[in-house]
Amino acid sequence: MAKKQSKTARAASKPAKQRHKVDPILTEIVRNGVIAVTEEMKTNLMRTAYNMIIYEALDFTTGLFTAEGDTVSIGIGLPSFTRGMSNTVKSMVAHFGRDGIKPGDIYVTNDAYTTGSHLNHFTFALPIFHGGELAGFACCMAHWIDVGGTLGGMTTDIFSEGLQIPIVKYQDRGVVNDTLVDIIRLNVRLPSRAMGDLRAQVTAVKTGERRFLQLLDRYGRKPVLDAIKTIMDQADAAARARTRTIPDGTYEAESFMDDDGIDIGKRVPIRVKVIVKGDTMTIDLSDISRQVRGFYNSGPSTSIGCAQMAYKCITSPTDYPINDGAFRSLKVIVPKGTIVSAVRPAPMRWWMTYPMTVVDTVYKALAPAIPDRVIAGHHADLVTATIHGINPRTREFFIGGLGPLGGGWGGKLTEDGVSATVCANDGDTHNSPNEQAEAKLPIVIESCRLIEDSCGAGRHRGGLGIESVVRARSHLTVNTQTDRAHCHPWGLEGGLEATGNQVHFRVDGQWKTDQPNAKTLITHLKAGDAFRLRSGGGGGYGDPLERPIEAVQSDVRQGYVSVEAAAKLYAVVIDPETFAVDRAATETLRSTRRRERGGEPSAAASA
Amino acid sequence: MAGDKRRSRPSIRLAADIGGTFTDIAVFDEASGQLTFGKALSTPHHLVEGISAGIAKAGSDYASAKLFLHGSTVAINTILERTGAKTALVTTEGFRDIYEIGRINRPDAYNLYFKKHVPLVERALRFEVKERILSDGEVERPLDSDEVAALAAKLGELGIEATAVLFLNCYRNAAHEARARDIIQSKNPGMFVSASHELSQEYREFERTSTVVANAYIGPRVKTYIGEIEQHAKNAGFDGSLLIVQSTGGLYDATQAKEQCVRMLESGPAAGVIGTQALCHTIGRDRAIAFDMGGTTAKAGVISSGEALTTGQALLGGYDQALPVQIAMMDIFEVGTGGGSIARVEQGSLRVGPRSAGAQPGPACYGLGGTEPTVTDANLVLGRLGADRFLGGEMQLDIEAAETALRDKIAKPLGLSVTQAADGILRIAATAMSYAVKGVTTERGLDAGDFALCAYGGAGPLHAAAIAREIGIREVIIPFAPGVFSAFGMLFSDLRYDFVRTGLTRLEDASFADIERVYGELEDQGRAAIAATRVAPQKTVVKRAADMRYVGQEHPVTVDLPLRVFQKQDRAAIKRHFDELHLVRYGTSAPQEPAEIVSLRTTVTGVMRKPPQEKIKRGGAAPPRAGLTGKRKAFFGKAFVATPTYRRAELLAGNRIAGPALIEEHASTTVLWPGDRLTVDPYGNLIISIGSR
Repeated sequence: MAKKQSKTARAASKPAKQRHKVDPILTEIVRNGVIAVTEEMKTNLMRTAYNMIIYEALDFTTGLFTAEGDTVSIGIGLPSFTRGMSNTVKSMVAHFGRDGIKPGDIYVTNDAYTTGSHLNHFTFALPIFHGGELAGFACCMAHWIDVGGTLGGMTTDIFSEGLQIPIVKYQDRGVVNDTLVDIIRLNVRLPSRAMGDLRAQVTAVKTGERRFLQLLDRYGRKPVLDAIKTIMDQADAAARARTRTIPDGTYEAESFMDDDGIDIGKRVPIRVKVIVKGDTMTIDLSDISRQVRGFYNSGPSTSIGCAQMAYKCITSPTDYPINDGAFRSLKVIVPKGTIVSAVRPAPMRWWMTYPMTVVDTVYKALAPAIPDRVIAGHHADLVTATIHGINPRTREFFIGGLGPLGGGWGGKLTEDGVSATVCANDGDTHNSPNEQAEAKLPIVIESCRLIEDSCGAGRHRGGLGIESVVRARSHLTVNTQTDRAHCHPWGLEGGLEATGNQVHFRVDGQWKTDQPNAKTLITHLKAGDAFRLRSGGGGGYGDPLERPIEAVQSDVRQGYVSVEAAAKLYAVVIDPETFAVDRAATETLRSTRRRERGGEPSAAASA
Repeated sequence: MAGDKRRSRPSIRLAADIGGTFTDIAVFDEASGQLTFGKALSTPHHLVEGISAGIAKAGSDYASAKLFLHGSTVAINTILERTGAKTALVTTEGFRDIYEIGRINRPDAYNLYFKKHVPLVERALRFEVKERILSDGEVERPLDSDEVAALAAKLGELGIEATAVLFLNCYRNAAHEARARDIIQSKNPGMFVSASHELSQEYREFERTSTVVANAYIGPRVKTYIGEIEQHAKNAGFDGSLLIVQSTGGLYDATQAKEQCVRMLESGPAAGVIGTQALCHTIGRDRAIAFDMGGTTAKAGVISSGEALTTGQALLGGYDQALPVQIAMMDIFEVGTGGGSIARVEQGSLRVGPRSAGAQPGPACYGLGGTEPTVTDANLVLGRLGADRFLGGEMQLDIEAAETALRDKIAKPLGLSVTQAADGILRIAATAMSYAVKGVTTERGLDAGDFALCAYGGAGPLHAAAIAREIGIREVIIPFAPGVFSAFGMLFSDLRYDFVRTGLTRLEDASFADIERVYGELEDQGRAAIAATRVAPQKTVVKRAADMRYVGQEHPVTVDLPLRVFQKQDRAAIKRHFDELHLVRYGTSAPQEPAEIVSLRTTVTGVMRKPPQEKIKRGGAAPPRAGLTGKRKAFFGKAFVATPTYRRAELLAGNRIAGPALIEEHASTTVLWPGDRLTVDPYGNLIISIGSR
């Protein structure tokens, strides 16, 4: 079926030929320069932003783009959005045409099928003119806390998710489009915050323009634009060189999401095929699930975005600036109408969840080929709760997010997984301090702790997940949209899976744990009731029986792993009082385990 | 008159700044007004020896001193080298992991081998007790003294040397923390015990935990260190007050420093900024970037409207794995570029730093086995440094070694000449530093181009003119004695105590009675702290500020507020101050929108008598003949130019020099580019007017 669909394909292009004279010194100055420009845009946006999702959670990205819309440099804040801004700028160029783009213009859109994400992501782009020539774009995307639409609950089409702004001019040759601003004000629940965020974004793109122009003035337009070409060519060469070190072949893997929030319990398959040939890679998402009824879809920019994210993590993780040169050797195949290339009017509000598992599945596919560069599955969800109600102190409506909680990351060939870290979708994203949340919202956080034994066992174990218990001080409504409660983070190379994400409620003092999944939409709590978020751990890497006894002992002493799990999963016998290891009992137990599984370490993986 | 009274008493103010390589001493005689300097090698294993040697070099002694001011890297090094005490954390039930969880961010977002901060206290030594205070200060669950006492006994049995106490929401009600601290201390009299509210009463529990743990972790070592210095000085006849420089640049008493150790983390760099502030005051500038460049890093602070800018938080140990410290500090940023920064070719382009050759093996030209080309090697090859003039000629530099390193590692792979490679390294270093300077000023809503650049440290004067050009700065100031500038700056420090307390309230509903009560309490603490020292300041100055934001905004800004707005209970004026600052900082403001107060801040300063800035001998426009030491070929942009070299010590006030020129002194060389014009001011500072670029 899927094969008959028309395909969105980004072809892996040929390595670039030297088209201009390379000045290695200016290239480095410009490299540092474009990074500094995007950083400064970020600083200005962050400091001016009104809502916590932008300021504290840093759910935004800033960037510089070529006149064609290719990425020159983007902030590293939001990996899943690697593609979103560039595709949006390109759509803007296509929409207005090169001749329709004028100095003094600023464009805006939140169209979900353009950005690939949800309507909360407002993207502003400013064409930068130098000496009458279009030299590039300064662009910034930021998450607005509310864009209208139904409050909480499930949505089944885009129209119930809020105001849709197509590609339009926020500013036309220096004149602000007040009509547009009025329409936005009337369609969002917290207009003053929305206007604050809008101003912050405009400040950010203007900062980008000013600083990029200084760079062009200082070193000349042609030399700077040539240096940018060189930077992109170098990124291309580096990515190809790393790709060449991956054995040629076709690698496949499959994983599942719990459900789409409507067809409860119906697993959503994520199938990826990775083809490595010479210095190119193809990520084929043809067999991924078709778009779903619930709001977990994302647009075509995101399918390419998550493929590029996985590719960058494998080929050039710490090369900056992040630019499109690094992706020339990657081809992405995806038909229209899948969960990561959804078509109107698919609901997209929780766009960010599934793509993280797509990325993890790419690593899973490549594990046999490049065991030293991949990572076992992670908790792969924001694990967040949105609460709203009337604050009894101020008698005002409030809406607030708790989280992202952060959770466990997978083990690797040479290292344990990291605990308590934000999921792959986000990068430099912060949680909200408990004291800050308590000061603002009518809640008490009863505990916030690491979950013992949440990590997948392995020679290198996964990281630990977090549990947070939140009590209501007055009536409030809770929404959670969490996945991967049933489909746990997997282990690799014989490592075991971790615990999944969970959401529970305490009503009248009784914990209820019989929900079918972790998607609990519109749950009303009264004072004294509570909810509990638990993030999953990271999968283990390698055979747990090969984990050094001292490492298991240390984990038990620190309380990361229980005495029982040490015996059951690692076959290490530890005294619960003294943490002393019974060496003889351990040796016996380990050899018994090995004998039982017939000397086949990977048998442990099918736990 | 004051001098008469003190004639028979010690009148010397000693300042000692201990760095990794050198111990710098500045000595000010209040009676004679004389200022002298000394420099000695640091003695890492017994730091007091280096101090004594430096004091002797400066021609002074402990017995004639009444004040001994000290800045040290002992606190920061104890954290960075992880050599602190065996520390435990006692915290609210349910929250022992907040210190390990941190802020969950992953800055290195595409790196699957990313790392997280490593707590200074392992999980097994983080203990929970039953207690809970809510965000409004209400006690939901009382502290059980018996439980704490039992835990205190256990801490003793475990051999814990230091304990940090943090309870949730203690910024609104510190009773539980104080009681737990007292119980633990009374059960373990020799233990270093620190409670978070003593250091910060600002919300954000991870940051406060990290702050109090850092304090406990470094406490025993810092306490011992300060005790040793006290003893050593006393044995040498010192009978005055030992004052320590805090990260704000302010001073506090040694007794206080032994308890609130975390306040002295950045004392050396902060003192340099204080020196710049004093210099600005003397020569009539109100905006300057204080730029300190050494062997491994460059650090910069900002003077705006005559005041050094401070911040309420710093991150220790690099952003990715940072341990935050939430206390008042000089707002100093660091760039990983120094004289020892190594240049390399990567993916066909030239990269500089952040890896440094350090002092061992050092740059290739040191001849100590270094083979990688550094910024210093580039300076040597381009003639900016003289091979026989380094450290006053005490150390001969090997120019061939520098050329070889540059040729093999940079020039050949990139197809450049050695000169082009060296020039490229310095240009890249200068632009990288200029981007960083621009970045911090933008963050403050300021434009770096409007500032003077005050450059010191060994490498600052070498690069200042090039960096100024990149930023668009028009004036560079190289202070008198740039090599001992931090010690000099200490002489201008005041006693200073900073306090903050979080209490969310809307400005329109805020009770001035409550505000006065909080400010009053904080101010009383400050006055008591000053009274507890043996120093009698000239006067005590209290400054108030509030962290404010628009309702709905997350990030507050710190607004300095004059006392009269509180006397007049003028809400509108407070709002106006906030709106104006917001406009400056962010380019936007929203006067029609309500604002809220997040935290109240007070700074209580005990103003100390300042040394007068000493004038040097006056001369004509032409430098004295003895000042001109010869000519050296130096490269400026296009070609090598025969460039005159001067000995700075010979220059007189009023001398003028047109670039290109090189002004050499013991620990540094000032580079004057073609088109730049230098004037020696009455105090011996070099004032450089930057020519067109």
